[in-house]
Amino acid sequence: MSTASVPIAAGTLVRRKPPWAVRRRRFLVAVADHSLLIVVAIIFLTPFAFIVLTSLMTNEQALSSHLWPSPFRWHNYVDVFREAPIWRWAINTFLYSVLATLGVLCSSIPVAYALSRIRWRGRDLAFATVLIALMLPPVVSVVPLYVMWAKLHLVGNLGPLIIPNWFGDAFSIFLLRQFFLTIPEEYLDAARVDGCGELRILATVVLRLAKPAIAAVALFSFLYTFNDFFLPLLYLRENPSHWVLQIGLSEFRSLHQVQWNLTMAATLLVMAPVIILFFLAQKAFVEGVTLTGVKG
Amino acid sequence: MTETAVTAGAPFTAERRRARHRAAWRRRRLVLMLMSPWIVGFCVFFGYPLVMSVYLSFTHYDLLSSPKWIGWANYKYLFTEDPQVGPAVRNTLWLILIMVPLQVLFAFGVATMVARAKRGVGFFRTVFYLPALAPPVAATMAFVYLLNPATGPVNVILGHLGVNGPLWFQSPQWSKPSLTLLSIWGVGNLMIIFLAAILDAPQQLYESAELDGAGPIQRMRWVTLPTISPVILFSVVISVIAAMQYFTQAYVAANIASGQASQAGDQTVNNLGYPEGSTLFYPVLLYQHGFRFFNMGYASALSVLLLIVAFTVTVLIIRNSRRWVHYAGAVK
Amino acid sequence: MRRGVIAAIALAAILAAAAGATARSAAHAGTKADTITVWVGWSARELAGFKKVVAEYDSKHPDVNVKVVGGINDDKITAAIRSGNVPDVVSSFTSANVGSYCKSGAWVDLKPFLSKDHLDVNVFPKTSQYYTQYNGKRCALPFLADVYGFYYNKKMFQAAGIKSPPKTMSELTADAKKLTKRNQNGSLKVVGYNPFLGFYAGNVPDLSAYAPLFGAKYTDAGGHSALSKDPAWSRLLKWQKNLVDWYGYKNLQKFNAGAADEFSASHAFEIGKVAMMIDGEWRVAFIQAEHPGLAYGTAPAPVDDAKKNLYGAGYVNGTIIGIPKGVKHKDQAWALLKYLTFNAHPLAQFSNLIRNVPTTKQSLNSKEIKPDAHFKTFLTIFANPSSKTTPITAAGNAYGTLIQAFAVKWQAGHAGDLHAGLQKLDKQIDAQLKQAQAGGVP
Repeated sequence: MSTASVPIAAGTLVRRKPPWAVRRRRFLVAVADHSLLIVVAIIFLTPFAFIVLTSLMTNEQALSSHLWPSPFRWHNYVDVFREAPIWRWAINTFLYSVLATLGVLCSSIPVAYALSRIRWRGRDLAFATVLIALMLPPVVSVVPLYVMWAKLHLVGNLGPLIIPNWFGDAFSIFLLRQFFLTIPEEYLDAARVDGCGELRILATVVLRLAKPAIAAVALFSFLYTFNDFFLPLLYLRENPSHWVLQIGLSEFRSLHQVQWNLTMAATLLVMAPVIILFFLAQKAFVEGVTLTGVKG
Repeated sequence: MTETAVTAGAPFTAERRRARHRAAWRRRRLVLMLMSPWIVGFCVFFGYPLVMSVYLSFTHYDLLSSPKWIGWANYKYLFTEDPQVGPAVRNTLWLILIMVPLQVLFAFGVATMVARAKRGVGFFRTVFYLPALAPPVAATMAFVYLLNPATGPVNVILGHLGVNGPLWFQSPQWSKPSLTLLSIWGVGNLMIIFLAAILDAPQQLYESAELDGAGPIQRMRWVTLPTISPVILFSVVISVIAAMQYFTQAYVAANIASGQASQAGDQTVNNLGYPEGSTLFYPVLLYQHGFRFFNMGYASALSVLLLIVAFTVTVLIIRNSRRWVHYAGAVK
Repeated sequence: MRRGVIAAIALAAILAAAAGATARSAAHAGTKADTITVWVGWSARELAGFKKVVAEYDSKHPDVNVKVVGGINDDKITAAIRSGNVPDVVSSFTSANVGSYCKSGAWVDLKPFLSKDHLDVNVFPKTSQYYTQYNGKRCALPFLADVYGFYYNKKMFQAAGIKSPPKTMSELTADAKKLTKRNQNGSLKVVGYNPFLGFYAGNVPDLSAYAPLFGAKYTDAGGHSALSKDPAWSRLLKWQKNLVDWYGYKNLQKFNAGAADEFSASHAFEIGKVAMMIDGEWRVAFIQAEHPGLAYGTAPAPVDDAKKNLYGAGYVNGTIIGIPKGVKHKDQAWALLKYLTFNAHPLAQFSNLIRNVPTTKQSLNSKEIKPDAHFKTFLTIFANPSSKTTPITAAGNAYGTLIQAFAVKWQAGHAGDLHAGLQKLDKQIDAQLKQAQAGGVP
């Protein structure tokens, strides 16, 4: 791989772009090398393509075997908002996700800190409870919890969904603890020598050092609650004014006699916030997922 | 805490002891404060449901009147008479034995390819991760539409190629494979974890293997797989736990697919498990009994059984893993 | 300084809130309008019709403000009652569930209200009385009934040379075969009669729409499930499967997947993709609204060849309406309920709007009913003494789930020997009922 280099001033090299023929050959070689990968990538993107195409069809076309919309009904996206209270669903969803994520952070960080940087009797037992809770399928605890919330007359609003997140989330605690363990003791000792109490240390030193882990936990929490369907199904179903996007989408079909073109448009709209968030916070996402796997 | 030599007499030691007690007491109070959310959370949202589940499983309870004690009747019905439990267990087993391995294999395969890519790693990573972000409800609805046997794009394209496409979500034989396709589409999370682990593998192991004359397959077998075995274990455990809770996709798919030749917008018909009970997984059955028929007692019995099985399976997997998982630096 | 500003704002907020509260309570004290909520299963056009009927009641009764919520199904009803967030009046399309509603007390006993107002339930037809009570406990009232009859496309009949609608199942099968058209590749273009269980309401998978046409009895004299003992069930299932197999199971699956939603304007019968069908009487209103030019006829559904005397009968059920447990405004709820179910005017008015069958003798004969030749067929079927509804049991509609599971498997050819399968099904239904009565499972 040689590039023409022309010395301009002493010691400076300027790379000139190689001739077009060379670049084209290199591109074709790269494509051949990655051919299988490209094919799989195309297959992975195809569902998205079809969703977009269907969302731009008329209803009759969506019900037929046509693959390409003609004409392109961009108006479908406006129609979706007219047919269903998407904004209300979106507000409910964001309320749920934001409050739940805040709760997870506020409750899991102190617990993870106590489990990792303070030595106390019973710490290992406490961590074992986190591990056990991690392995418990939430489906198992669903019935008694529903009974409890029903007795408290809180079924039908977002309370039963948000409140548990303010009392610690096993997965977040686990992740944060693993990360906190990697913080060198010297940082904390330096702060202690400066006269900081444990809480001050947590708030200043640890939080700043653990930013990637905290960002990951926040992202996962937001993503999980945004995509959550099961809990809203149990607690919100009979109260349409409190529906979140996922419930609304699943009921969209039956509300106004299947219109697949609008349903696909709604599907895309529901997917959009998360995808946009991903592109804005790509690094944090990937780092976060890696953290869970490597430290897990 | 370094100990300074105590040369003074008794009152000084007592003073020191009191100071230490105060410090210890302060630390205990701090720990209590920091741990309090989890203590409450664990007791209320984990411990209490567990105990209540066991209690309710011996009662008949429909939330309209107080629970009525019926002893082992729920369990008797569960193990001997309920015609839906067998299929539900078999369906969930299908997920664990077929869908999970396929997911892990596919994630690993794609990660290997991406790791070997020289250009555009970021692009490919994004493409494969994007579907994992799609909300399960949205993704399932999209797939049911795409795999519509009559008008869905997949069968239309297959038709142009001369292949008579299967009935996908309308066929009891193809409904679980269709759900598997959906889950493979969303395997991005696992893929990224595998990718990071593969890229993390120490280079010198590969180099020495190459020097010893190992081909690519042997390098995979003796270097890559052992190095990332903890990650494989993690993926398997996570996926198995997810398979035992598989609900959303099954519920939405059955709902939409059965509605394509639909009944009225109100469901006078029980569509769970459509078609022919092939998508009736254990959590779906639990939901049906607990939140359709409101037999909370029986649903609790189902939960208790699931808990025992989940715990056993997880322990088994982890126990078994000692044989093939290599932790870097560990003495095994 | 800052604290002072905050205090001022806080004070202003408190005053504003207090002012608002007093204004609200003043308005409240003046008009004293209680809001009562009604839950119904109707949506879109039919819901608009119901709202019209209720609006009239609302204007006549200034002390209540009636709020209507549509698109309700039984899942939502049971969830609401369990969680305590109940509407004041609730209605359901699944009359078979009245058994579990009454037995569990989910819907309150209406007898005290009825006796207080000296109302007699004999103004309702016998069938409607039956599916609104369980074991003598009356927790619901009928609010318009549904009757299933036969629809056929007159133009297609003419083209195929068929003179009159089929009266027996063998005639139906013959006509169906004559009217079916296939595409080049073997897939179905026009289906003469679609017998596929699950396709549209006439093919309710628990066989309830077909049972009265074969004279099939659900229980024997001892009250046990009789699906294997009454030969009518085997005849029903065999007839159905033969026709499905003639079309080809997979062909029908594909056809159904490509068919439009039942309550859309592209309903398969309405656009000519299906020549004949069994459907409820509400279809008359839908056709009128969506395809008024369609040349179709209505008739009683064909019956089993072995029971020709049954011709003229059909499957009957209806909307049931009641008051859920835990309601706050019991008296106002009852007032609305009484108005809707006993008065001829709202019944006739709503019947005209959605073409359901009125459920009191007075409203059936009311002058307000707009005559319609197609709809008249269904009124006749409703009055036929052999028209039956599904049994009301303590397990509610749960036995339907069991029948459905078996019938769907049988249709696909996965159920093995028919008689053995039906015997097993009987055992399951009996076990299920025993558990529901004893307070066990399910």
